[in-house]
Amino acid sequence: MKHLRPVNRKAQRIEESIVAAQPSTEEDVVALQQAPRPHVPMGCSLSFSPGWEVDGGGGTAGLCQPAERDIYDCYVTCFWPVQVPDHVNYSPDWASNCAVAAKDWRNLDLVFP
Amino acid sequence: MNTLRTGLAAFLLFLTGTHTAQAAAIFLGGYPNQLILFDEGSGTINQKVDLATGLPVSLQLSNDKKSLYVTTITTSGIEVFDLATKKITNSFSLNTPSTKYRFNGGVVDATGRYFYTVATRIDKQIDRYKIGKPQYVVVDLTQKKIVRSVDVDAEDSTFGYRSSFMLSEDGKTLYVFKDKILVLGTDDLKVVERLDLAKPDLSGMENVRFGGGVESMRSKREYVSLFNAADPYIHNKVFGIARLDLATRQFNFTPIGPAPESMAGLQITPDGKEGYTVVTQGKFGNKRCEFWRFDLTNNKVLAKQEFACRSRFEFGMSADGRKLYIYGASYNVEVFDAKTLKLEKDWDLGNDATMAGMVVVR
Repeated sequence: MKHLRPVNRKAQRIEESIVAAQPSTEEDVVALQQAPRPHVPMGCSLSFSPGWEVDGGGGTAGLCQPAERDIYDCYVTCFWPVQVPDHVNYSPDWASNCAVAAKDWRNLDLVFP
Repeated sequence: MNTLRTGLAAFLLFLTGTHTAQAAAIFLGGYPNQLILFDEGSGTINQKVDLATGLPVSLQLSNDKKSLYVTTITTSGIEVFDLATKKITNSFSLNTPSTKYRFNGGVVDATGRYFYTVATRIDKQIDRYKIGKPQYVVVDLTQKKIVRSVDVDAEDSTFGYRSSFMLSEDGKTLYVFKDKILVLGTDDLKVVERLDLAKPDLSGMENVRFGGGVESMRSKREYVSLFNAADPYIHNKVFGIARLDLATRQFNFTPIGPAPESMAGLQITPDGKEGYTVVTQGKFGNKRCEFWRFDLTNNKVLAKQEFACRSRFEFGMSADGRKLYIYGASYNVEVFDAKTLKLEKDWDLGNDATMAGMVVVR
């Protein structure tokens, strides 16, 4: 956690020079939560918000009603990386037989990774 | 006989006049790979166009309102739909087996040849995927490939997936709207100016942010939207209407009231006198949604009306400004009367709508 914040311009220049002096980690293998920010695998989410069973508050009131309304947008944005396929890298035709998830969800394929 | 001819001519003239006044057309992206053309007047689907490049994620109307530019995510494609012939006139993908691009939306220049956006390149290497830095890219729609790319500056690299883009009328300046407005020259794609909304000089406020959702721009010179701001001392958050003159880069912010939890952007009537937004208060089970109607001449709230809203939705307006649309995260569009702010009817699109938004063309 960073506790110091530059307030004036001289402090800002000092911080910039420190950052510039640090070796680049662009080609390094880094942990996902490593600074400067989490390296989220491209197109896939590490979060389970709102989640399949519960919403971000731990309840169900925040879920789409019915839950099938949320299937496709979460599939495309990879927001439920476990519950629905990852459209970004895999399963591009998963929804090809079903245009309306709330009505035709039975036509969706099961995908086994 | 003359009476009959006159009557027949008048009847034919009446029919011609009736057919001339065509209702507006609504364009939406539909799962799994369709562009939906919806007739606003009759509330029926006119046409569904299959997109060869995949799922549509953004729709961009050309300045001359003759073409619709659709970007897709499945193969990172761009498709051009001609509004007159109702056909796809150009379709291509930027992805190759070893290289993918990720981008969302963009803006096309006045010639219709160059498409500007921000993209991330992903190269599949022998043992890993190499993810590049965000880049400003220019796509040549004739050559069907990226012809120029410039790295986004490190200080601007915190791009959200959905930034908005605008081009100046002369095509020489590109505006990118995120937490700040980036002004770039199209010749070299270098940032000329940054309108840092966190420290606006004019309003004396700090932490000015764009309101969420789709912003409206009815004039090519002016960008009008809802903004949230906080004073630099107590940090009391307020919202208001802001106008940005793209030519002079003058920023004018007029506060209206305490900032609600979230707002769905601003939709402006064709005459520019009134605006609408959806305000959300509370979360989850306590969530409440309201339509707010604004007088944009005096920057005041005229009316509010609560309505039953979805957990996730998008907000749109009809071409004549008389209807408000709530759509997204489902297959239907809820139509509300703009004056009474009451629900009138429900349109079934037959497809779940994607997050490409809605384009209404008269």
